[in-house]
Amino acid sequence: MKRKIQNFINNINLLKVRFWIQLTTFILFVYGGYFAIDFGSKLPMFTCPYNTQSAGTCYLLPLQHQLAMPAQILLGGAGIGVLIGLLTFVFWFIFLNKAWCGYACPIGTFQDWLTGLRKTLGIRYSTYTQNQFEKLSKIKYILLAIVILVPLLIGVGAIGNDWSAAFCKICPARMISPMFSGDFSQWVIDFSTTTAIVLTALGMIFSALFLVGSFVKKRFFCFFCPMSALHFIFSKFAIVQLRKDGSKCTKCGDCYSVCDMQIKDIADDVTSTNILRDDCILCLKCVAACPEDDVLHFDILNFKAFSSTKEGFEKRMGMEKPKGAFDE
Amino acid sequence: MVSFIKRDKNDIFNKALLNFFFKNKKFLMALRVVVAALFFYALYFGFAHPGKENLFTGALFWGIFWALFMVATLPSFGRIFCGICPHGFLGKYITRFGLKKAMPKWMQNRYIGITLLVIGWWGIYYTFPSFWKSPLTTAAMFSGMTLLAFVIYYIYKDMSYCKFICPIGTLTRAYDKLAFTKLETYTDECKDCRTFECATACSYNLKPFSFVTKNQADDCTLCMDCAVSCEAVKFTLTKPSQQLFSKFKTLNAEIWTYIFILGSIPISMSFAHGLNRTNIAENMIWNTTAVSFGMEPYAGGFAFVYALILTIFFSVLGLFLASKVLKKEYSSTFSTLGYGYAPLFILGSLGHTLESLFTKDSKTIAEGFAQAFGFVIEVAPLAQRGDSWLHYFGLLKWIGVVWALILIYKRLKLIEATKIRKIFGYFFASFLVLFFIGVNLYSGYVFKTYGAKQGGHGSHGAKEMFQSVPLKDAILLQSGKDKLSGAVCGMNLPKFYKTNHTATVDNVVKQYCSLHCLSEDLKINKLPLTDIKVVDVTSLQFIDVKAAFYVVGSNKTPTMSETSKYAFAKKEDAQSFAQKYGGEIMDFEQAMAIALKDFSNETQASDHKKKVTQLEANTPFYFTLSDPNQKDKGSAHGMHSHGSGEKRAVPTKKSWLVYGDDLQDKKLIPAMDIETFYYETQHNLKETKVQNSRGATSYSFEVPANGYYNLFAKNETLINGTLLYKVAKLEYLNASHGIEGKYKEEIKKTLHTEKIKIDLIKIKSDNENSFFYRNLMGDEIVFQALFDAKPLANAEIKIQMSSGWSKTIKTDDAGLAKFTLIKDYFPPWSAFDKRYKDELLLTLTHEQEDGAKYILTYPLSFSLNKDAYESYEYGLILLTLTLLISGFVIYRFRKNRTKPFRELSHEA
Repeated sequence: MKRKIQNFINNINLLKVRFWIQLTTFILFVYGGYFAIDFGSKLPMFTCPYNTQSAGTCYLLPLQHQLAMPAQILLGGAGIGVLIGLLTFVFWFIFLNKAWCGYACPIGTFQDWLTGLRKTLGIRYSTYTQNQFEKLSKIKYILLAIVILVPLLIGVGAIGNDWSAAFCKICPARMISPMFSGDFSQWVIDFSTTTAIVLTALGMIFSALFLVGSFVKKRFFCFFCPMSALHFIFSKFAIVQLRKDGSKCTKCGDCYSVCDMQIKDIADDVTSTNILRDDCILCLKCVAACPEDDVLHFDILNFKAFSSTKEGFEKRMGMEKPKGAFDE
Repeated sequence: MVSFIKRDKNDIFNKALLNFFFKNKKFLMALRVVVAALFFYALYFGFAHPGKENLFTGALFWGIFWALFMVATLPSFGRIFCGICPHGFLGKYITRFGLKKAMPKWMQNRYIGITLLVIGWWGIYYTFPSFWKSPLTTAAMFSGMTLLAFVIYYIYKDMSYCKFICPIGTLTRAYDKLAFTKLETYTDECKDCRTFECATACSYNLKPFSFVTKNQADDCTLCMDCAVSCEAVKFTLTKPSQQLFSKFKTLNAEIWTYIFILGSIPISMSFAHGLNRTNIAENMIWNTTAVSFGMEPYAGGFAFVYALILTIFFSVLGLFLASKVLKKEYSSTFSTLGYGYAPLFILGSLGHTLESLFTKDSKTIAEGFAQAFGFVIEVAPLAQRGDSWLHYFGLLKWIGVVWALILIYKRLKLIEATKIRKIFGYFFASFLVLFFIGVNLYSGYVFKTYGAKQGGHGSHGAKEMFQSVPLKDAILLQSGKDKLSGAVCGMNLPKFYKTNHTATVDNVVKQYCSLHCLSEDLKINKLPLTDIKVVDVTSLQFIDVKAAFYVVGSNKTPTMSETSKYAFAKKEDAQSFAQKYGGEIMDFEQAMAIALKDFSNETQASDHKKKVTQLEANTPFYFTLSDPNQKDKGSAHGMHSHGSGEKRAVPTKKSWLVYGDDLQDKKLIPAMDIETFYYETQHNLKETKVQNSRGATSYSFEVPANGYYNLFAKNETLINGTLLYKVAKLEYLNASHGIEGKYKEEIKKTLHTEKIKIDLIKIKSDNENSFFYRNLMGDEIVFQALFDAKPLANAEIKIQMSSGWSKTIKTDDAGLAKFTLIKDYFPPWSAFDKRYKDELLLTLTHEQEDGAKYILTYPLSFSLNKDAYESYEYGLILLTLTLLISGFVIYRFRKNRTKPFRELSHEA
């Protein structure tokens, strides 16, 4: 019986399952407000509170608000609040690890849909060269530094209050998310101060780049996402992990070619067991694309919940049937 | 000897600049000469200028060397402090020509130095706080130590002074273990060495080539003599405190140093300085003990002893229990786990030192050096005490705590035991860390709950007033809960104690803050006061005014008046006071006459008061939520009050009743018969809490829930037989953070009250649907006027804006009146504030046929409409441009790539 269930899971059509999960979570988190659903303000993904119907709040906003408290208050007890906030964030995070990005994040899902649109239109996608990839992938840590340092500077009075939630001002999710519930009030430039002009103008530019970029490049924004950088700090402690048994790997490169995030290690690295990299969105497409038994597997604690199998690979590739091809 | 080597990447000598700083022989020599010269000059300066005016000696010793330089370098580069120490520098030469005897066994005891430091320095420091503070004692102490050091260097070999006698020798050796550097050798090259230049070069008789295998550098003071002698010596960067991660030959004296220093510096400081500055200092055990021994002046010493005992107790108990659960010998547990305590003191102390560097030491150092070299400069400190960024230095302490916990974990790995035993062992071994955290949290708690003592700690507090005395020194003759407040003005009596007066009326004792208030009661209110007394500034006792000598008009601050008046029991005291601070000596009657003159000076003000009071009959008053006494308005951004200030169980809001045509200049109404009450969100009637502070009456109401609160004040007077009925109303929308903004329709329901006859109700529009709703410029506001719960037609509503503009509108048959909130905010762009709040005041007036007049005021605040500063057009232009450009760039880029690559060929 157990064997049967395992086989069934390993043989699923991951793309379809993922599509439905993403659609559900998208509706849940983007429109949850209509049903009075609230997951709190420490969610480890871009459920942007600028969309008033969100069923929760991206942790980056409260984090920036908390850190912007005057230093003496922050360090005099209110710091406990920050720690509790962080713990709540970690609590949410450890259940799904980076699958928050691949399965739940509305902005991620939206990018996948733009990719789908592109595919339907028959336009080919872009990739980065390995060199570009390595450089671009650092940007998210710079953004994470902005998320943390700018509020601290506000807290010590070095910069003014118009810098508050500076990252949110430049984050495309501020413009994109409210759009889902028909609210375009964020698509403006704030002329009240120089800082506001610069930040909101950057926000508009990034939104435009987001739209163009994620149309031609899969998961365009996720390379730059500071949330992803924050995730990576805690990803070791998560109860779900992506693991690899390098001894059986043939380095065929299937996993790399399906990876939306162009992570080379997934094919190249045959020594690490834990193959989760900072850019990974744990979409598990690599597991589904791997033709070898148990080389890549998605573990819940130490239990292999979803493993790569020959059988599953063949099934997904439609090898039993003469027609039909596995796309991507 | 190795003369050339390919250095590792993490070798500090590999970098040219660092190589220069740490290894260049000439540079090091020059540095040591300069330091030694400064050292001896500061000693000389201390003897030459023993008084307080000598800034240099203190600045050099206590501002730069000890504390700052030592504490900053120990947990980073290591013992480089010793490397430049004048004692060691000169000692090397002395010992070279000395007797080179072996030090007797009893003196080869590392506890000698540490005992000197803990008892000789810190013990005295706490017991006789002023002893070490003078430049003379500083200079004398260092001279004594220098002399002692040189004698010992002369007699004994191998720099034994540094190892055993120097009070900070063991200390620097112990804390050096935390550094991220390590002096070692390239072992591959050393293997074949038979000449041992490094060991010969070492004045301390150490063997640098053995440091790698020993995993420690023994007594190395990083003088770099060995590095100069042989290229195979390296100075590597490691992880912080990496030595402690693995085994080495432990030295119990080092662990005891950690414990003793932790006890005598941070713990004793929080006892003797921190907790002793709180209001419950008297109840602290060291103070009670000192009292029971009758040794109050030495209470600091008791604090020190208690701190030491507690620290030793927790460390020994913790390690003992740990040894029991780990099933190991106590001594081995102690020497293994004890090293985990190393970071506790040094990082906390680093934070403290850096903070005082910015707040005061930087100033002392700059001015002290200027003084030493003969010119005078005045420097402002780099930061003010209380600057918020300074608080980040406080984080270092907690980094120390975390570091200690990590170290204990790492050290525990060196012990073999089962997992479960290790978990308990870890807990017990952390006792000292927990104790340290506890002391920190506790003193934070005490400060928060009981507050800091007023003016207890001269140098730390704000500028003290001459009049003030600590609460315990003030004699308070009144009883009841207001016994601390002056009889007329309500000011804090101990704060103005030296000008306090008392008098008795109807067998009740009244205590006044000053002669000013006394004379107001005596001459203006004409109360039959008897037994009038005044505080004698010298003895702080009350004396009869008849016998008192008043010094009037001195340059010490006056209380409640423009002329200061201080009373003395003895004429000589008065004279010497007058000589020092100026002023004339008078008796009570004359002083009283001067005090009354104050009143005639102030008559303008009181005339004004009278005028206003007469005006008051017709002038409406209204509520405001901002304190009219606080004129500087920093409150525009105060919306985010992140739980600052005192936390109450139920959040409350304060309001004041004010009047005046100019909304920018609100004046508090004088005391009158006013009934105030409010309705909470569920429309239940509640009492407001009336408070008096500094002459201002405030009305506070509790705002436990989110929603609309209606606050009312009512005053009915009969003027020449006709009724004047005045009401002030305020509707306050309370919203706390972290809630769903939108509310249910029923929250909006209109409040109808029978407690007032006239009412003005804001009809809430459909847009108003959230707790965070704000009235915006451009909104149309609708009001309904009611009288006796019936619509009031044709009543006048005056609209007054803060800019001074006003307009009067009339209600229609249904009692309704409409108007649009106009935008009235056109500052220069640089001063534009999008959180700007404007306010207006509505005054509804209704006169009845019998002449009875009903007035109701209703203040309203409104904010800027987003259109005032946000632009869709520019946003969309920018968006479209970016879309087009980036789209085009991608298109071109791809086009280029799809074109097949064509090789350029040059045909002949």
